[in-house]
Order: sequence, then structure tokens, then C-alpha cells
Amino acid sequence: MSLLRASALEWSVGDRRILGPLNLDLELGECLGVIGPNGAGKTTLLRLLAGLERPSAGEVTLEALELSQWESRARAQRIGYVPQLRPMEVPLTVRELLVSARFPYLSPRQFAPSERDFEAVASAAAEVGIESLLDRPLSQLSGGERQTAYVAAALAQASDLLLLDEPTTHLDAGNRRRVASLLLGLRRRQGHTLVVSTHDLRFAGRLCDRILALRGGVVVECGAPDVVLVPEVLESLFEAPFRLWEGGDEILPVLELEGDGQ
Amino acid sequence: MSRGASRLGLLAMIWLAVMVAATVVGQHSLQWAGVFDASSPDYVIFWHIRLPRVLLALAAGGALAASGLAFQTLFRNPLAEPYTLGVASGAALGAVTAIELGAGATVLGLTVVGTGSFIGAGAVSLLILGLAARRRFTTGTLLLAGIALSLTCSALILFVQYRADFTESFRMVRWMMGGVAVVGYREVIWLAPWVIGGWLLLLSLRWDLNLLLTGEEVAASRGVDLSRVRWIVLGSVSAMVGALVAVVGPIGFVGLIVPHVLRRWLGHDHLILLPACMLGGGAFLALCDLVGRLVIAPAELPVGVVTALLGGPFFLWLLLVKR
Repeated sequence: MSLLRASALEWSVGDRRILGPLNLDLELGECLGVIGPNGAGKTTLLRLLAGLERPSAGEVTLEALELSQWESRARAQRIGYVPQLRPMEVPLTVRELLVSARFPYLSPRQFAPSERDFEAVASAAAEVGIESLLDRPLSQLSGGERQTAYVAAALAQASDLLLLDEPTTHLDAGNRRRVASLLLGLRRRQGHTLVVSTHDLRFAGRLCDRILALRGGVVVECGAPDVVLVPEVLESLFEAPFRLWEGGDEILPVLELEGDGQ
Repeated sequence: MSRGASRLGLLAMIWLAVMVAATVVGQHSLQWAGVFDASSPDYVIFWHIRLPRVLLALAAGGALAASGLAFQTLFRNPLAEPYTLGVASGAALGAVTAIELGAGATVLGLTVVGTGSFIGAGAVSLLILGLAARRRFTTGTLLLAGIALSLTCSALILFVQYRADFTESFRMVRWMMGGVAVVGYREVIWLAPWVIGGWLLLLSLRWDLNLLLTGEEVAASRGVDLSRVRWIVLGSVSAMVGALVAVVGPIGFVGLIVPHVLRRWLGHDHLILLPACMLGGGAFLALCDLVGRLVIAPAELPVGVVTALLGGPFFLWLLLVKR
């Protein structure tokens, strides 16, 4: 069953078209990767799918109802979003961040979150393994811990669909691995529906059922990882040479650097 | 949560203590027997001069602090205050224009100067709300638009002042220092519904404001209706500040500093902070007014001078001592 559908989706600033026209069907339980060079329109696509921006043309429908028709809290119960760029100074503890993510379930008449909200927060924290960080201020966390906390908050939001914008960018190898393992675990255990934009091609290949390659706002290729993550597609996508690299039972396309093979 | 609630209780007791102290203490020492004897001058001083004045300070200070808190959160800017969007400059322009035109009568329970400032504040608020309705106006742009509007009003104030004669000019300067010296309850009754209504509207947004601390993008993705929140905050702050500036003038500093002090003490939950600002801001302004009444007695120092003189060094000390 199709959960989210984009039809003839376009996004323009003035006369300049940034994205589209683009058609996309997202199945329940599916994981879609979005790759492409900087400025390809990955973030724009995710923001449109999250309902944070109205399309200039076309539409995004969630269960056959156009996103802008959804009441904002009801929409947030279905779609969660972890943006890449977030304010540096958020004066909250991890626990406060997770509790605040229960906003879609809080009524304006309510004076404190309910037991159910605290349970959701506790289970989200347990799922990503940050129980020990709950009372630490966000400002004191490392980049990787902070990213994990935001993923946990999105889980506390308990939406069916989770959109993550470059969740591993700006992280060191150890933290990249931690966040990647976290998302792989979520896929395996919970069967979340995910849309993940990333520059980490190996991570995308491992995590996603389907990969959408964007360039200049237009879909270059969309299909299974072994169709998209091949040197021919990547070379036209990034305008850089790729070659296949064999390691163990995995064959990976890797970026060629000057001086390779000398 | 419980720590916040108990500290809020402590703040409520401080508020009550300030209310009593500011009403009892003054240049004239009261005899308790006289306070309850309608024929005694002490009765008039207590019930008709000091109590309404203290109540006005409590309401105005609370509204300023709550407004400052809401603006600082909405604009994600520690320098935001109730007057950031030019409401005070609009009010001041209205007031100096009324003074220049020469006014003494009262309209709708307000002096003509008060009416002028209320109209000025209202006009600027409507302009800002009109700008906020434009889809492409981000919160940051709105902040800049407010500053531009504020500077324009300031220039017009200087123009009116330049044309005014010596006495008028003095009245204008004095009005801009602010003051809560009133006789009777007319101003308190006029201000109360604006302050209570505006504050309740802000309180209804407590979850939204908490979530805005994580940034607009995250807040929107969690279901915060940003344009609705912006309208309600701008509308209620404009109404509160417009109404209070009309009776007490543009008292500075309370709306900027009190929210910062309370955040350091109570954390960032708006469910706690909004009542705390009402109590803390009110108590601070009433205390400043008390100091202003006593420090150069028998003359009085305008309360706007005292707020900055007391608040500035105190806040500086707080910045140096903590963290």
C-alpha cells in the first residue's frame, strides 16, 4: 500500500525551478535513500515530503489526502523529520527534547505530559541506547550523541514515516558507524518506513531498498541499490570518476582519486 | 518539574511580600488604625494612592516580563524585548504628538496622552501584523522590519520634539521615562483585562513555545503551526504592551532582563516561566517603584530610571558569578 505519494511535484524560487517535476511512491515499511551532489534538491525534497513547505506545483499526499489538508498535529503523528541543520544552542536536556517531541499528542488544555508520553520517551531512549544521557544538556553532547538524541526524539514522536536529512554528515568514523548501526537496527527490528538523504554511498546501499539519485532537482535514476550504485550512474551524478572495488563478498563503487593505481 | 513548582511557590510568596511592603512602606509612615478608618488621611494614602500604584506596577511589570519571554523564544534572540517590534516607539510617537497638540482632557478612561500612545502602539502593531501575514516574511525578517519601524518612529519623535516648546519638550522627556504614579483604580481597571487576556493567550501556547526552543524547523515538523503561533504571540504582546504603555509609559529593562534571570533559576519550561514572569516582573517593578519613591525623598525618581539602575548591575553580576 502506498503511504506517501508525490505527483508532478515541483518547487521553484521565483522563475528558477529547484526541484521536479518528480513522481514518487513510498510503500509502507520501505526504506528510500536519496543521493546526489550538493544542491541537488535532497533537502528540498525531504522538506516537501515532510509537509514543511508547500509545493509550487503538483502535490504530496499522505494516504490519499494532500499534506496541506492535514491538521499539523495529525500530520506530525504520521511523519517525523530530523533536519540536518539545527540551531547550535538548544537550551534543553535530552529528556526535555524527547518529551517536547510528544507535542502532537499533547492537548492545549493539558498541564503535564501523560504517562503514555513518558513511556514513549523511555522506550525511544532505550531503543537508541541513550538512557544514560537523558539528563545531560544537549549543548554538552558530542556531535554523534546529539544526532542520536534527535533520532531518539523522532522515535518518541512515534510517526509511521521518518525522514532523515544527512544523518551521518559531519560525524567522525566512530559516530558515523554508531548512527548507521542505529538506523540499520531500526530497519531490522521495527520495520520503520524511512527516507534518508546521504552522501555515504556504502551506508545507503546497506540500509535502503531503493535509491533515488537526484541531480539539479531531476531524478537521474531510481531503483534498487545494485542498479543505482554503479560507476556509470554515479559518474554522471557527481561528475567524478568511480571504479568498482571488491572487498570480501561486497563489490562497491568507490571514488577515484588522483594518483590511484600508480 | 516539582522543583520548578516549589520555586514558583517561593516566587509567589516574594510577590506577595513585595506587594505588602510596597504598600505599607513610603515617605509617610502609616498608622494601622488610620488605614481602616475612612476619615483618616492614612486610609486615603493606603487604599487610594499606594495600593493602586503597587497593583499597577505588579500588572505592568508582569506583562512586560511575560511579553519579553515570549518574544525571546519566538525570535530565538536573547536581545528581543517587548519593544523590539517598535510598539513602544509607536506609543511614544502618539504620546508626544498628543502633548504637542496640547491635551489635558480624558477619553474613554485614558488621558489624551494615554489615548495618543495607545493609538500609536495600535498602529505600529497592525503594521507589524500586516507584515507578518506576508508568506515570505521569516521571523528574522520580521525582527528587522520591527527595528526599522522603531527607528522611523524615533526619528518622527525627534522631529515633534524639535518643534515643541520648552515645557512640552520637558513633558515629553518625562513621559518617556515612564512612571506608575496614579491616583485611584481607573488605570488598574483599564489595564487588567488586556494583561490577563494576553497572558492567558500566551499560556495557551506553552507547549508550542517549549518546542520553538529547538528551532522553527524541528518545531514545525513536530506539528507546531508556526504562523498561528506567530500571530497569537504578536497579537497578545502588542495588546498587552500597547495598553500598558498608554498608562505607565515605555518602562525599559524589565521585559529584557527578568526573563533571563528567571530562566537561569527555573529552567526553560514555559508552563513554569510564564507565571514566573508575571510574578517576578511584577515584583521587580513594584520594588523599583518603592526605591524610586524613597531614594531622593521627598522627590521621586521615575521608575524607568530605577529599573535600569538596579537591574543593569545586578544582571552584570549574575553573568559574572554564574557559569
